[in-house]
Order: sequence, then structure tokens, then C-alpha cells
Amino acid sequence: MSINKQAYSAIETIVGGKYISEDPAIMEGYRSGPGGYENGTGYERVMTTIPHAVVMPKNTEEVQKIIKICNRYNVPYVPYSTGFYGPRTHCHVENELIIDLKRYKDFEYDDKHFYFDVGSGAILAPLQQEALNKGAYTVIGGGGAQCSAICNLIGDGWSPLSHRIGLPHRRILGTELVLPDGELVKTGSLATSDDPFWGEGPGPDLRGILRGFTGLRGCMGIVTKMAIKTLPFQPEPLVPTGIAPNTALALPVKRVKWLNFRVPTKEAQIKAMFDIGQAEIAAALTKVPLFWRAIAKAEDKEEFWDIWLKETEESIANFFIVRVLLVGYTSEDDMIYQENVLNDIMTELGGVPMRTKPSDESWIKNADSAGMWLMTGSYVSVDYIIESLTQATVHGNTYAELKKKYTPPLMPDFGDPGWFQSFELGHQGYSEFLIYWDHREDTSGVDQFYVDTSKMNIKHRYYTSLIGPHQPLFLTGPNYGPNYHEWLLKLKNEFDPKWVSHPPVPLAHDDFVNKAPWMHAIRDWEFPEELPMPKW
Amino acid sequence: MSVIDKKFGDRYDTPKTPVAFDVTDLNNFYYDMQHCIKCKGCYWVEHTYSPGMNFPVRCASNLWNDFDAYGAMGKMRIGLGVQDGKLEWTDKLVEILYACTLCGACDVGCKRNLDLEVELTLEALRIKAVKEGAGPMPAQKKIAKNIELKGNHFGNSEPRLKWLTKDIKVADKADVVYFVGCSSAYANPEIAQATAKIFNAAGTSFMLMKDEKCCGNTVYSVGMYDEAKKIAQENIAAVKATGAKTLVTSCAECYRMWKVDYPKLLDISTEELGFEVIHLIEFADKAVAEGKLKLTKPVDMRFTYHDACSVSRLCDPWKPYKGERGWMGMIYPGLLRRRGRHGLYKQSRNLLNAIPGAEFVELIRVRENSFCCGGGRGTKEAFPEFAQFAANHRMEEVKAVGAEVLVSACPWCKNNFAQSAKAGDENIKVMDIAEIILAAVEI
Repeated sequence: MSINKQAYSAIETIVGGKYISEDPAIMEGYRSGPGGYENGTGYERVMTTIPHAVVMPKNTEEVQKIIKICNRYNVPYVPYSTGFYGPRTHCHVENELIIDLKRYKDFEYDDKHFYFDVGSGAILAPLQQEALNKGAYTVIGGGGAQCSAICNLIGDGWSPLSHRIGLPHRRILGTELVLPDGELVKTGSLATSDDPFWGEGPGPDLRGILRGFTGLRGCMGIVTKMAIKTLPFQPEPLVPTGIAPNTALALPVKRVKWLNFRVPTKEAQIKAMFDIGQAEIAAALTKVPLFWRAIAKAEDKEEFWDIWLKETEESIANFFIVRVLLVGYTSEDDMIYQENVLNDIMTELGGVPMRTKPSDESWIKNADSAGMWLMTGSYVSVDYIIESLTQATVHGNTYAELKKKYTPPLMPDFGDPGWFQSFELGHQGYSEFLIYWDHREDTSGVDQFYVDTSKMNIKHRYYTSLIGPHQPLFLTGPNYGPNYHEWLLKLKNEFDPKWVSHPPVPLAHDDFVNKAPWMHAIRDWEFPEELPMPKW
Repeated sequence: MSVIDKKFGDRYDTPKTPVAFDVTDLNNFYYDMQHCIKCKGCYWVEHTYSPGMNFPVRCASNLWNDFDAYGAMGKMRIGLGVQDGKLEWTDKLVEILYACTLCGACDVGCKRNLDLEVELTLEALRIKAVKEGAGPMPAQKKIAKNIELKGNHFGNSEPRLKWLTKDIKVADKADVVYFVGCSSAYANPEIAQATAKIFNAAGTSFMLMKDEKCCGNTVYSVGMYDEAKKIAQENIAAVKATGAKTLVTSCAECYRMWKVDYPKLLDISTEELGFEVIHLIEFADKAVAEGKLKLTKPVDMRFTYHDACSVSRLCDPWKPYKGERGWMGMIYPGLLRRRGRHGLYKQSRNLLNAIPGAEFVELIRVRENSFCCGGGRGTKEAFPEFAQFAANHRMEEVKAVGAEVLVSACPWCKNNFAQSAKAGDENIKVMDIAEIILAAVEI
């Protein structure tokens, strides 16, 4: 069986023959794995397949027309911008259509109001450079500089720079969303004056529906355009230097510099972040997993392991770093003031300055998520939460403990409690836990760990972000709602009654657990005999 | 013993598998194909260097055709499908494979983070295509036939030394041998003449090979391994017979063949060739630094420089590698990866900045992030439309920096750009670096 011939021809009429294909070799290029974010897991092997066809529209009107045809002919589709976000953004069912949005690269910068309007194909690194050219900046999210800005902001979109710039949804000034049935709505600054669906105005707040906490991964239509806020930076140029893998931005150190401090205890680390936030200084403030430091130092995989395997549980448990980016936004004097305040805080807490290069290897322009694969070959951010600063660090420790049970196949990290940092000048604390493995090994333990983290979050009452489409909805929904799952499914059925928009999300992980025998042993929650969704 | 064996013994007991940089077997690159993560570092200009929304891409092939299959991330997946016997050779698959100049942008991009051997994988995939009767493209077979019958790329029957004018002094015997290459011998005599005159101006005695034949660049590039190996053996023997200590090329593709692909074909290191291989850029840069070549004549122009792939990211010296891969994919013994670090970036810019009276302005995508002209390695002959697209796109960049002259160090680039400039009625002149150096020399 394949996509209805009439449907294919109708879509071809919209985009032209050059931008649609069902050739097997072309389709193979759209395979999710075996490498990549969350690839090489059971989820990828069980839940993904190659598309039947790929189409590349160039504007919103074409996207709308394609989706309406998909609805008319019951063609399941999944939006795709860069293909980076692993199996969850690739085809899950047979005879599916990938709507590849890379041609939609519209870009317009509004100098006066410091924001840009972008299409789905625009990625973060060039956008950041455009912002820097105008004396502004935005955040290159942890997903990496190669991510579509729209996808990154619908989903995650945070980085150490979120200490000052803030959470991603605060930077979305407006969205243009093609609903699963092809209808168009606009929110925020992109809304027309009489459109009731405006996040800040009367009517339902579609911002929450389309994004949730970390997005719905294509199961609620396609965001085709977004207005993204930028913020004032400083005027000195950041000059690219070096050759891969040792490239960096040379920093004008009187206006921009990274500073690292080692503090004596975890409590001092948290207090430092709190005090820095309270003093309203710094552009970024973080403690990243310690093995990232080894990645940054290493020339290659072999050197990484040479460096990392010198660590022990004790050395990791007693290493407390505070990494700070200072930006003299208004002047060199501003920089001096911030540095003086920072030094006062560190003196009080016993912080010792560490050697820091006068350059930026990652975060300002090149969030290096792709480097995360260097160590082992496979990687996923298994969870991220936003809590208070103190609670965020507790979360990391609980994770580290659970992870021991699954190591191997997970890489030995000597109990590293992951990444935590300040958001919004210390008003929130952020914790992210990342896992690494080699997908040539038996990865059943990786799949089980993934779901086990949900149980851990429920047990400890952590506010996890990866619920909905990332975990079994019938595990997380009753515990986070108690009717979160019912609410989400009602929304899905209302907006996408045929479930053509990226099926079987948001029940994909439930479906995976059903289909993967090695997951049945840990399925101790109540679930329906048959998942409430159409069959594909 | 690898580091993990020392620390954890049998706790992590990943079976070891052999690793070899032998392009005759695609299976040698199975791990690499299996570990592409679709970050598209192969496609975008390295993010630190990203110039903004204009010219952010480095892969000509995938810019020409937007489907992922045309980028290295797609080809790595296709390679796995072919190796696993799940994909059959079709016209479309062969087009995807060959509508690409093997320019190496993807390879150095990947080595930003992952250290996968993308270039070698693509070479091995083409070799497999030829072995199984699917490749190369008809126009490329014709080139191979030309070389077999006439010893040159074009099938030209004229004397190879037709370019040589009376005012050029050539020695019967010298330490330096100038390997002219097919393009400069037949299509671009101005490059061969300029190169020879630069030798003369620097007071360097040079000789020519008695019966120079094509370097085999296209033959190797399209996957005709056995034919390319035969050419390599014959050409190396011919140079050794001259007794020369240094071979100089003025063609970037000849340079890469001699320096990288001949050693690869013969499973030896570049050092083991028995003579030094340098490009004119290296020769002239050294000669200027030593005061043997004086660039004193003013050249009144605003020019820019295109880093030809084979004198930039593709020309790190070759060293054979055999080892084993174990836990977490680590290889043992360790390896210094080829990252395009040995490109002739500095030498070319030393020279260009030394041209008196001229204004040198950089393009937007430079050095290892350069955008290929689209004309090399047999691609223009098989896919003229693609080659023209790539050249036109690069010419837009030349216009964006306001240059009057585009300089390159490869005749294949020069010809492709010149054709683009002519077709687009552009007021931009295209020159080889030999010509601009010579223009600054008082003779």
C-alpha cells in the first residue's frame, strides 16, 4: 500500500515535480537512524520507518494546501526541518509523508524593535550572527546551533544564557501555526488585529496548546513562522578563530569574558548562583556535566577517554565549579562593576578562580550538541526540569543514583549529577540529565532506564518536562494530572480528529512499550487494552 | 591495550573489530555510516564561522538538490542500505552518489564533532558502485577511455608540450620536476606558461617529464580503483626515473592525487613516495620569503581568492591506518585525523597579500569552509547543470564582497568560474594564482 496516487499528484501540483519524491534512495536519506539523537534505541528501531514520500513546500500557503490534501486522503504526515531531533521527528507509520520545511528560510530583522521573523528552515547559528551584526543576541539552545530556530523554541531552546535572557517561551513574540486540518492561526505579534486566537488577548491561549511545556513534536500541526525576540548585546566584534575541532570566538575581554571558579562545596555552588542572580549580574551561569570539560579538552574520542577515565567517584563528588559569562552590555565600566561584584561573592564563598580561555567555544554562537556523540556514539537528554536552584541539584543526584543500575550499557560517569544552572537570574534552577552509550551494544537497559526515570520523577514529585509525547502517557498522565492524559487526548481529537498529524504521537511511547517485549517487565501502570487512537 | 581495558578489564567487553582505511571495501566504513547523527555539520558552514543568513551552506551538492539524500547525512544512510543489501542500484541512486565533487566539505565538517571518515566512505561507495557495474556516469567512462587511449583527460591528440614557448627555460635534468597536468597542458596553457616563468624568475631550474600522462584524478574520483592504481604506479615510476627530489604541480587536483591519493592507492604514506610533492603556492611562498622571487610590479585590481578544495581541506598528507575498534568505538592505536589542517591557506594568503598595488578581499566562506566551484573530479562532465549551479552560487559571493577578479589555484575552478562569469555576463575576471603572481614579477 502507498500514498494515494491522487493525493501524490495533487501535492505535486502544489510544489512542482522537483520538490516531491517517492524514490527509494531519496527516502533512505530520511531514515532516522541508526545514529543520532535518541537513535540506536529500541524506540528508534521499533517506532520509526522511512517515509513513502517527501515534499518540500516553500511557504505557508503551500503547507496549508498539502495538509488539507493529507486530511482529504488520510495521509499521515510529519513536519521536518533539520531532522536532528532523532526518531521522534521521523516517520512512525507506514506510508507517511515527510513535509520537509528546509526551503522555508524566510528571514526579516526588525532593527527598531529587536526581533526577527523566521521560517521553519532557518537555523540558529546564522540567526545569531545576524543578531550580533545588529548589536543584539539571542540564545543558541542546547539542541545546538544547527537546529531550526522554530523547532528549538517550540521544544527546548534554553542554554546557560537563559540565566539572563530567560525561558524560551518568553522570546516567542508570535507564531503562525497551520493546524492539523490545514487551517491557519496566528498568535502574538503575527496575529492580525481581529484574530481572537492571540496569546496575550481574548480567546484561548494557543501558545500553551501548541507548545505545552516542551512541545508536541509535530502532532498538533506545523509552525511555519515565528517572531523571535532578541536582546541588546555589546558592540565589539567576536572574531572566529581556529580550525575544527578547535574553533572558537575570540572575545573582546573588556566587554565579554568567561570566568570559572572552583568552590569548596555543593552548598557554596548553589549559594554562588543564588547570589549572582540576586546581584543581577552575568549573562550566563552554569555548572555543566564534568565530562563536557573533558570533551572540550580532547582532540578526539580516544583522548577524551584518556582524560575522563582518570576521574573517580571521589574526584567528581568533590569538584564544584561555577562557570560565569560576563558581558559589559553598556560599557567597559559595566564589565568592571560586574566582575567586582562577582569577585566579592566568590571571596565570601571561598571560590578560587580557575584558568579560563579568552574565547567562547560553545554557547554564544555554537552550542555544540553534536560534540556529545564523540564519547560513545549515542546520546539523549533523558530529562530536564525547572525547579528552584536547591531542588534542581537534588534532582541531579537522584538521577545519578538511578543511573548506576543501568551502567553499563550507559557510559561510566562516576556519579556525575549532570547539568544544572540558574535561569532568569536565579529565580529558577534548571537540571538536565544526559545519558551516553554505544548503540552497537544491547540497548534494552537504555530503553528501560528512560521509562524508569518517569517513575523516579513521580516518586520524588519532580516536575519533569518530558511527559506527553516523550513518555508513556498512561504512566505520566494520571500522576501529573490526574487527568493530564485525558486533557491532551481531547485536544488531539478536537484539533486532529483523523490523527493525520504525526501519528501515533502523543501515544507513541505507550505504543512502543506495547510493541517492545523487553519493556513489558517494567510496565506496572494501568493502561488500556487498546490505545485510544486510530490504527495506521 | 586501550585505556578502558586497563581501567575496567572485562566489565566492558565489547568485541574488537578490525579497522582499516582501505577504500576497496565499504565495510571498513560501516561504523562511520552507522554513526552519522544528522547534525548536518557536513552541510552548514562551521557554526563559529557562520556568516549569517547569506551563504551559510558549504555543501554544493545538497544546495543544488535539497533532499537530504544529496547531503552526506543522506549518503551515509544510503551507503548502509547498499552495504546491507537493502537498496538496489538505480539511476537515481547513482545520480545521488555522483552529483557531488567529493570536495571534502562534509568530511571536515563531520570532524568538527564526530571524527567520522565521510570522504573515505564516499570514495569506497563509488568503488563499490564501479565493482558492481553501476558506476561511473557515461561521461566519466569517456574520460577514462580518453586517458587510456591518449594519456589525457580530453582525448586530445596534440603534443602535450604545445604550451611551451621559446622564452621559457627548461632544464634537461633538475631537482624540480613540474607536473603540468592535462588542463594546463591543453585547456589552460596560460597557467603552465605562468608557472614555468615563475620558476625562471625565481632562478629555480626545473625539468618536465618526457612523456607526462594524466594524473588519473577523475579515474580515481569516480571509483575506478584498479585503473587509478595502475596510473599511480606508472606515474610514480616515471618521476623516480627522472631523479627529481621535488614534484611541483600548478593544478590543485593533480596535487591532491600525487600527495594523497597515490599513497592511498599504494598503501604507503606520503613520506614514502620517495620525493616531495608541492603546489606552486608552496613553491612561490617559500621563494618570496627567501627573496628569490620578488613581487614588485604593481597590479591594480581588487581581487578575492577561492580556496580550491584540493589545496585546502583535502590535502592533509596520507598515512595508512590499520588497527582495531573496541569499546565505545575507540580505535587502537590512536590516530591523527585528517581535518584539513594542512591546507595551503597561509601560503596562498601570504602571496596574495604581497601583490603590490592590489587590494585583496576575502570571500565569506574561506579556508576549510570554502564552497566548492562544482567543476572538479569528473563532476562537470557528468552533471554540467550542477557544476554551473555551484559556480554561479559562488560568483554571487564574489559579487557580494565587491571583487573585480576571482583568483583560484586550480584550472578546473578557473574554467568553471570563467564559464559562469561569461554566461552571467558578469564583469568579473577569473585568474589562476600563477597568473597573478607572474603579473607582479618584473621580467
